[in-house]
Amino acid sequence: MTGDGHRPEVPTGAGHGAEGATSRSGAGEVGAGAPGRPSSGSAAAGRSESPRPPAPEAAASGAGDEHETRPPAADPRPADRGDDGGRTPRGRSTGSVGPTGEPDVADPRPPNGPPRVVRIAPRTAVVLALASLAGFAMFFWPLFAAPEPEAMAHSADAPLIFVVVLPVLIGIVLAELSSGGIDSKALAMLGVLSAINAALRPLGAGTAGIETVFFMLVLAGRVFGPGFGFVLGSTSLFASALLTAGVGPWLPFQMLASSWVGLGAGLLPRRVRGRWEIVMLAGYGAFSAYFFGFVMNMWFWPFTAGIDTQLSFVPGDPVVENLHRFVIFTLYTSTFGWDTGRALTNVLAITLVGAAVLAVLRRAARRAAFHAPVSFDRG
Amino acid sequence: MTSRFPERGRLPRTLHPGAWWLWALGLATAASRTTNPVLLVLIIAVAGLVVARRRGDAPWALAFRLYLLLGAFIVFSRVLFRVVFGGGQGDHILFTLPEIPLPAWAAGIRLFGPVAVEQLLGGLYDGLRLATMVVCIGAANALANPKRLLKAVPGALYQVGSAVVVALSVAPQLVESVLRVRRARRLRGGRQRGMRALRGIVIPVLADAMDRSLALAAAMDSRGYGRVGTLSPRARLVTGVLVLGGLVGVCVGVYGLMDGSAPRQLGLPMLLAGTAVAAAGLLWGGRQVRRSVHRPDRWRLGEVLVVCCGIGSGGLLYLTSQVDAANLYPSLNPLAWPELALLPSLAVLVGVLPAWLAPPPELSSPPAGGWDERRPASSGVPARVGGSAEGTAGLTAAGAEPVVPAHRTGGGGDGEPPGPPSRAQERTTP
Amino acid sequence: MIEFDRVTVHYPEAAEPALREVDLTVGEGELCLVVGRTGAGKSTLLGAINGLVPHFTGGHLHGEVRVGGVSTASRPPREFAHLVGRVGQDPLAGFVTDTVEDELAYTMEQLGVRPEVMRKRVEETLDLLGIAELRRRPLRTLSGGQQQRVAIGAVLTAHPAVLVLDEPTSALDPTAAEDVLAAITRLVHDLGVTVVAAEHRMERVVQYADRLVHLPGDGSVLVGSPSEVLDVSSVAPPVVELGRLAGWRPLPLSVRDARRRAAGLRERLRDQPRPVRGRAPVGADDQPRLVARRVVVRYARLPAVREVSVELAPGAVVALMGRNGSGKSSLLWALQGSGPRQGGTVSVDGTDPKEVGAAEARALVGLVPQTPGDLLYLETVAEECEQADRESEAPEGTCRRLLDRLTPGIPPDLHPRDLSEGQRLSLVLAVQLTAAPAVVLLDEPTRGLDYHAKANFGALVRELASEGRAVLLATHDVEFVAGVSDRVVVLAEGEVVADGPTAEVVVASPAFAPQVAKVLSPQPWLTVSEVRDALAGAEARV
Repeated sequence: MTGDGHRPEVPTGAGHGAEGATSRSGAGEVGAGAPGRPSSGSAAAGRSESPRPPAPEAAASGAGDEHETRPPAADPRPADRGDDGGRTPRGRSTGSVGPTGEPDVADPRPPNGPPRVVRIAPRTAVVLALASLAGFAMFFWPLFAAPEPEAMAHSADAPLIFVVVLPVLIGIVLAELSSGGIDSKALAMLGVLSAINAALRPLGAGTAGIETVFFMLVLAGRVFGPGFGFVLGSTSLFASALLTAGVGPWLPFQMLASSWVGLGAGLLPRRVRGRWEIVMLAGYGAFSAYFFGFVMNMWFWPFTAGIDTQLSFVPGDPVVENLHRFVIFTLYTSTFGWDTGRALTNVLAITLVGAAVLAVLRRAARRAAFHAPVSFDRG
Repeated sequence: MTSRFPERGRLPRTLHPGAWWLWALGLATAASRTTNPVLLVLIIAVAGLVVARRRGDAPWALAFRLYLLLGAFIVFSRVLFRVVFGGGQGDHILFTLPEIPLPAWAAGIRLFGPVAVEQLLGGLYDGLRLATMVVCIGAANALANPKRLLKAVPGALYQVGSAVVVALSVAPQLVESVLRVRRARRLRGGRQRGMRALRGIVIPVLADAMDRSLALAAAMDSRGYGRVGTLSPRARLVTGVLVLGGLVGVCVGVYGLMDGSAPRQLGLPMLLAGTAVAAAGLLWGGRQVRRSVHRPDRWRLGEVLVVCCGIGSGGLLYLTSQVDAANLYPSLNPLAWPELALLPSLAVLVGVLPAWLAPPPELSSPPAGGWDERRPASSGVPARVGGSAEGTAGLTAAGAEPVVPAHRTGGGGDGEPPGPPSRAQERTTP
Repeated sequence: MIEFDRVTVHYPEAAEPALREVDLTVGEGELCLVVGRTGAGKSTLLGAINGLVPHFTGGHLHGEVRVGGVSTASRPPREFAHLVGRVGQDPLAGFVTDTVEDELAYTMEQLGVRPEVMRKRVEETLDLLGIAELRRRPLRTLSGGQQQRVAIGAVLTAHPAVLVLDEPTSALDPTAAEDVLAAITRLVHDLGVTVVAAEHRMERVVQYADRLVHLPGDGSVLVGSPSEVLDVSSVAPPVVELGRLAGWRPLPLSVRDARRRAAGLRERLRDQPRPVRGRAPVGADDQPRLVARRVVVRYARLPAVREVSVELAPGAVVALMGRNGSGKSSLLWALQGSGPRQGGTVSVDGTDPKEVGAAEARALVGLVPQTPGDLLYLETVAEECEQADRESEAPEGTCRRLLDRLTPGIPPDLHPRDLSEGQRLSLVLAVQLTAAPAVVLLDEPTRGLDYHAKANFGALVRELASEGRAVLLATHDVEFVAGVSDRVVVLAEGEVVADGPTAEVVVASPAFAPQVAKVLSPQPWLTVSEVRDALAGAEARV
């Protein structure tokens, strides 16, 4: 096991790739110009520093190297360990054929381009924005409800109508996100992570507001990007609801709220790394716990308080006054109990195991080799 | 349970989950149209009866009780809220609690104070209505098989649906994996406690799950997952226009619904139209997915009847509310006893018919399959192994016909052959 | 059916090609067995058949792979679903749904087969593989052999012409393996399915194979009839090695072949002194390190271990055998003190490991569980070693030294998950030995090890014993037991049904006899090396 194994005679030279039938798997799903990803030029430049053969460029002849998934020069790994390491016979069926993971110790350079496994195309972004806007309004309608008696009759119905409409909206966004085709690796990852979230949820629920769903959601959103985070937020809560038979009118709202949490985690600045990354994620975890509690309370406010207590919303009042009442409502009912418990869980969990979990997820992303170059030639 | 009512001539079968959901939504609509506690209790009773007669024996069928509890909690919290924050509106003061004024920043709100009957009843009626709707949803949860429901998702959601299917089948394995790792921690001393111990559990489980997901992805790939045709550019355009146009409609509709000054057409009709258009786009986009469903749930007479009952119940009550709403909303001012009129009661009772009209549920054959494997712990096995120690040489070389019945042989699982989770729990040590 | 045309496969991160210039043609209805050491490229070869390599894994494929005339370069693996059925190493990990029937239908659902056809094929497949009574069972409650058969059925429903199986019987106990093999041979003989299987436990499969593909490890392949290839192969089952030793040509592949030719060999061996197994007594004060009396383990009301008594002497290796579910694991965990124990006593040098804290129990009895990875949670081998030193308050570097003794040369900065099965086993063993326990318990240590790794591990176990430790290992692997253990305890339904010196217990047993014993019985030879020594002794005397 030597450190220097990048022998120049690795084939798949550009010549082979160019003359043969070069095909790529899933080229279509990968964002051609997703923001934050280095251009092919910079990736190639990064590589040329390391003693590497031009292997990846072979594929670049086809769909191009914009599908950068690895730290350009992070290659100080034992080269021929494929022989033993990673080629394990059990439980690793794919690992044995895949480019095996690299040691996680040092990740000398941050991978600038995360594996955006679920792409957000421009059209998807518009759909997402519109649906989020409408969804947001459905959460916050009491603040803006109209004063007239005519509309009042409506406002009693409004939440019920929203309960019917919102699932359709979520369905549309999810369909749009997956319309480019979620490849099997991303899908399996999605399924397994949803299962983890769903299995984590009952662990904490009930004991002083310890809520463990978000911690993994935030970390996974961070590693796999905003689109994945959005879908994961929805599928996690949906799977959890199915497992515990907890499907109810609240479910679409929970799904949307947690999807926003996952999306937000994916949109956090990429450059932050190391300890600061954990600090940032823990902060975001706390924020998202309060955010989730806040919006869910907002949705539930009219149902809990009705319309004739001091803490009820008053249709037609200025937004600020309604908001004021709501804040007091939410402070009294949940902030100090559930939400704070949830926030503390998130902060503690992310601080204690965040780094390790990130390492595991990043390693999994590397092993999965999303967008790894694939090429053929007939020889 | 249901097996006590064997029905002749009707084959037990599982009803299409969508039928139960539509029925429950119909009942929930009915509940939303009234605050009359008598009617609401009647609706709960209807839902309860249908559940009792037509649910299967799957785990989710037991969830109904939880929803009843949740309903009770909703009513309770609603009433409590009135007592604490009510502000004492109403003429009939029941009792007076010491008043606690909150600091100025809290919008001049006072806690407790006089408690009026109107207040309490208002809270009770409102809470009961919400609770009834929740119970209706609970009935759907108990009656409809969620896994069948997943099979019925539209094509466009096929991939996300697959992810949920995977999640549902992986989750129990993960629970087992957590238990296994927790047990194994003691082998390394396992000194850390509480959150510090988290790492020793989370990381092996997560890493294992990630490896598993790769294996799963390879299996799915080689088994044809994602074998969908590509959408033609024209179809893609149509989908896009429908979805985007519909969403704009939804946004406008939501705005119209809230802004009182907007024309009425801009409100609810726009919202629903927008939703319909966007949903059409969703369905259109899903046409590319060609796949079939094993044992599809078909819409047959039973399904249609059940849906008709649910929708009929909601529809009738809605009509009643248009004709004569007085009985549906018992007066609080002046206080009056809620009355029960014939028409709304009939409307609600339509909803109970599925208890007889729907086919009886299919009960899974032996309860708790996992136990069967281990139970016949007697039959002739020691003889075989014992005999081996005495000498029946070289008879069963590899490849001879299996001597031991298949279900007795074990394999590479994790430790013991996997048993039901309850057993696995037993196995863990503190 | 399957053609490899000068195929070379390169992974992006690897310096050497995983396959080099492979030419291979597998005809219709053949059973082709792929053998080679861990990491020799077996999985790559199998993956290339339906295009997972390189479509799924990334990499470059030079040359062409065709299945039924269709090149894998022309379409993604999913478009091969109706041509090639592939079952991975861990069938449970590859299941998408959660009940048997749904799983059987899954592939067909993806292919858009009509519901009526689907229903019919599901029924046929249930019968074909003998799993009809399992149809509604949740997949995770099935035993390993049942899972493997369901996994095979799940790809068969698409009516593929080729079946690719990665280690179908490696993780199974002998009887479950027989079930699976019976199903596979039926598919080959009755339906004419082409089967390509990789397998470590060659002794189980080789006799059914029409063709053997041997991967020596440098990326090339050697293809031919089993007896030709085995003549030069670096891995071979004991019966073949015995054949090589005795000079039989063509080489015998099954016990039956060998036994019919073994009369002469038995004659030559008859007067040889019986092999001395086990160790010389360490000393007069040879007290057992662990004494367990009437141990009872129960889960709910279900007894798993019924009043079992065991004594482990220093320097002795004891094998615990019995089918899955016979209580082996439960007994090990109970002896270590971490598992439940409802009755009986356990004493290690006078202390009951259950009575003391986890750290102390660990210093008395070390247990390596069936899935060693459960114990590893750090990011590098070095960190794991340091953590182990801290845990057992051992001087710094103890664990690393132990590891280097067990398996030298594991890079310290490697991720524990990237280790091979054998390396991971060594790491966990080293972690457990850091606490210097007098008794070592090993649960199914040889799962997933190839012949070489197994031989190395066997030597290692003997070394542990020779240092005065008592070793108890639970295993299905009769060949391993034959080579390593001094005594065998057979459990069935939680009771001891046999307990005695290895040769006595094992030779006469149809289930637990190693191949050499089956060939040479009633003489008590268990391993090829014993026979070799005896023959050498005989020549020396002549």
